[in-house]
Amino acid sequence: MDAVQKEHDRLWKRSKSSNTLDCAQQIIDALQNARDAIAAEPTSATVSLAKLHNPVKGSFDAINASLKEIYGGHNKYTKVLDRLFKDKPLPSNEIDALSSHPALVHRAIYLHLLREGLFDVATTLHAESTAISSMLEEKAVLGARDESTAAPLGIDETESNRMQEQFTSMYHILYELRENHNLRPAISWARDHTKALEIRGSNLEFELCRLQYVKLFLAEMEDASEQESSTGPQRALKYAREEFQAFSGRYLLELRQLAGAMAFCSNLEESPYQSIFDNHTAWDEVVASFTREFCALMELSADSPLYIAATAGAIALPTLLKLQNIMQQKRTEWTTENELPVEIPLPPSYQFHSIFVCPVSKEQTTDQNPPMMMPCGHVIAQESLHRLSKGGKFKCPYCPSESHPRDAKKVFL
Amino acid sequence: MAAELTTTKLNAESHLQLDQPLLRLPHELVRRNFKTSQRYVEREKEYLLPALKDSANASLVSPNTPEQTLASLDAMISRMQNFKRKLQTLHDEEQAIQAQSAKRIQHLQDLYDIPSLADVKYDEWSRIRLDRLLVDYLLRAGYSKSGERLAKEKGIEDLVDLDVFVQCQKIADSLNHGETKEALIWCSENRTTLKKLGQNNLEFELRLQQYIEMIRSRVPAKFLEATLHARKYLVPYQATHNEEICRASALLAYSPENFDAMPEAYKEMYSHTRWHHLSTLFISTHHTLISLPTRPLLHIALSAGLSALKTPACHSAYASSSSNSHSTTTKVCPICSTELNELARNVPYAHHTKSYVESDPIVLPNGRIYGRARLEDLQRKLVGGVGEVSGADVRDPTTGEVFKWEEVKKVYIS
Repeated sequence: MDAVQKEHDRLWKRSKSSNTLDCAQQIIDALQNARDAIAAEPTSATVSLAKLHNPVKGSFDAINASLKEIYGGHNKYTKVLDRLFKDKPLPSNEIDALSSHPALVHRAIYLHLLREGLFDVATTLHAESTAISSMLEEKAVLGARDESTAAPLGIDETESNRMQEQFTSMYHILYELRENHNLRPAISWARDHTKALEIRGSNLEFELCRLQYVKLFLAEMEDASEQESSTGPQRALKYAREEFQAFSGRYLLELRQLAGAMAFCSNLEESPYQSIFDNHTAWDEVVASFTREFCALMELSADSPLYIAATAGAIALPTLLKLQNIMQQKRTEWTTENELPVEIPLPPSYQFHSIFVCPVSKEQTTDQNPPMMMPCGHVIAQESLHRLSKGGKFKCPYCPSESHPRDAKKVFL
Repeated sequence: MAAELTTTKLNAESHLQLDQPLLRLPHELVRRNFKTSQRYVEREKEYLLPALKDSANASLVSPNTPEQTLASLDAMISRMQNFKRKLQTLHDEEQAIQAQSAKRIQHLQDLYDIPSLADVKYDEWSRIRLDRLLVDYLLRAGYSKSGERLAKEKGIEDLVDLDVFVQCQKIADSLNHGETKEALIWCSENRTTLKKLGQNNLEFELRLQQYIEMIRSRVPAKFLEATLHARKYLVPYQATHNEEICRASALLAYSPENFDAMPEAYKEMYSHTRWHHLSTLFISTHHTLISLPTRPLLHIALSAGLSALKTPACHSAYASSSSNSHSTTTKVCPICSTELNELARNVPYAHHTKSYVESDPIVLPNGRIYGRARLEDLQRKLVGGVGEVSGADVRDPTTGEVFKWEEVKKVYIS
C-alpha cells in the first residue's frame, strides 16, 4: 500500500507541475508577436512566419515530452496497482446468491436506511423505485410482458409506513436522550410498552427513571445559580415519591441506595453511592439498551443486519476465494449443498446462535436431525442415536450409562 | 475452544478484496483524460505546423497581401486559444480525479493502521465501506438520487463514483426511452478503446435498432434511407454479424401490422423490449470499458456474509434458545432479523466442526438449553430483590413457561 501511495504522489506531482499549458501559451504568444510584427511591418511577413516555425515546433515537442513523462508515470502506477491486487481477483459471479432476489435486496437496504435514521434517503429510494417500477410496468404493457410490480421494495405501503413511523419515533427519542439529556419521551415509551418489556425481563424503565432521579439530584450542583424554591435533592426526592412506587418490589435494593444517597448530598464524592452518580457512560448505556429494546420489540436485531452481514462477508471473502481456486484446480464441487465446505473464523461478536455439532457424526444438527439428550445428560444428533442404538438399548458414547432411545429427549439450543 | 472458531486478526492485505475498483476506476478515468489531451495535442500540431508553412509560402508568392496573412494568423491564434482552454479543462479534471484518488488511497491506508477486527476503528471503517457498497449498489440499480443523497449525507462523495454512474444511467435511460443518439456519441468517443477490447456489439446493435425504427415507420421514402443506412453502418460488421444483417434485410418484407403472423425472429426485432436489452448491453459495455465489475459488490459481500453467519437455527421452525427477540439476555441474530431472513433462505449455512455453547449449560424440563449464568441473571431481573432467586421459580426466557429450579438439569455438550 505504501508503494501505491508513493507512486501516486509522484504521478500527481508530475501532472501538477506539467508544463503543457505554459507551452500552449508560448505558442499563442509567439503567434501573437508575429502578428503584431507583421501588422507593424507588412513586408516582414515572410521572414516572421518562417521564424515562427521552429519555436512553435519546439513548444509542441516540449508538450509531447511532458506527456510522455506522465504516460510513464501512469504505467508505473498501473504496475503497483497490479501488484497490490495481483492475488485478489474480483470475486467471480459464482458467489452471488442475491441477483435473483432484487426485491429482497432493495427491501433490506430500505430497512437499513430507516434503522440508520436516514429517512431522507429512504424516502428518495422509495420514490425512485416506485417510479422505475411504474416505468417497467408501462414497458411491460407495451411489450406484452408480465411483471409483478405491486410492491417495489417488497414491502407494501402500510408496512413501510409503519416501519418509518416506528423508526422516526425511535430517532426522536434517541435525539432527546443524546442531545438534550431529556428522558421523558423514552420513559413514556417504556411505560407504553411495560408489558412487553416485562416479559423480556428488561429493566429499561427502571434504568431510565433512575437516571432521571440522578439527573434531578445533580441538577443543582451543576447549576447553582438556578433560583428555585427547592434544591436538586429535594426535587429528586419528590420525583422518587411520585414515580418509584411501582418499582418498590423488584428494585428495592437500588431504591434504597438512591434514597441513601440523600444523606450524603453535600459530600457525594466520598460517599459509598458515588459510583451511581458519577457514571460518565450512563447516558450511552441507556441509549444502547433503549435501542436494543426498541428494535427487539419489532423483532429486529439491534445493530443493522446489513452492516453485520457485509462486514462478515468481507472477512469471509479471502477464505471463500481460496476455496474457489482450489475447487477450480481440482475440478471438484461442494459435496454438501446446504453447508459451506470450510470453516470461516469470525470475531466472537459475530456469533449469535449456539452451535451444536454432533460428537459422533460431526454434523451440525438441524430441524430434521435435532440434538437429543440421553438420560445421562449427554447430547448427540438424532441420526447418530438411531445408528448407535439400532432400536434397542445402547451405551452412551461418553459415559458408561446405558439407555433406550425412547428415553432420549429432544433439546433446543 | 473458542480460539479456533473465532478470530480478530485483521489482515489488511487480503481484506482489500472488494476495494479494487476504488482505485482502478479513477486511474482509468485519468488515463482516458490523458488520451484525450494527447489526441488534442496531436491534432493541433498537425494543423498548426502545415498552416504556418502554407501561409509563409502564400506570403512569399504574393508579398503584397498582408491582410490575408494577418487573417490566417488570427485564425491560428483563436484556434490555439481554444486548444489551451480545452487543455485547461482537462487538466483541472485530472487534478480533481487525482485528489480523489489520493483520498481513496488514504482511506485504504487507514485500514492498514487498524490493529484488529475488534477495534472500534475497524467498525468505523467497515461502516464507511458499507456506505460505499450501498451507494455503488443504488447507482447501479438506477437509483441515482438515492445514491447521491446517501453519499452526501455520509460525506463520502470522494469515495464513490457518482458522476460516472450518473452519466452512464443517463445514457441507459435515453435508450430506455427509445433514443440512440447519446449512446452513439458515447460509442464514437470511445471507439478506439472499444475496438481494443473487441466490444463492437453495442454499436452494431444500436445501428441495427436505428434501421429497425426506419422500417417500422412503413414510409416508402424511409425504406431507401434504411437501405443506405444498412449499407453504411451495418455491412462493415459482416464478418461478425452476418446472420443479423441478413435477417435485417429480410425484415423489409414484414410489416409490423401483421405482428402476430410473423416468425419469432422478426417479432423479436420489432419488439419494444429490444430497447431494454440495448440499455443493459450499454451498461455492461460501459462497465467493462472502465474496468468496473458487472455485478454490484454489495451482492458479493452480502452473499459471503449471509453464509458465514447463517446457522441451521436461522430458518428453523423452533425458536433458538441462544438468540431470539423474546428476552433481553440475547442478541437478535442478523440473519433471523426481518431484513435478511428471506434473503438468506437459499444460501448455504456456515460450516462448524465444533460445538459452541454458553458455559455451564443447563436444560429445562421442556428441553431448552441455557447457560446457567444467563438464566440466573434473568431470574434476578424478573423476580427482583436480593437473594430471592434460590427456591424461586425459573422462567424460560424463550417460551415463558415457568419451572422449579429443582427441575433444572445439567447437560453435557461436547
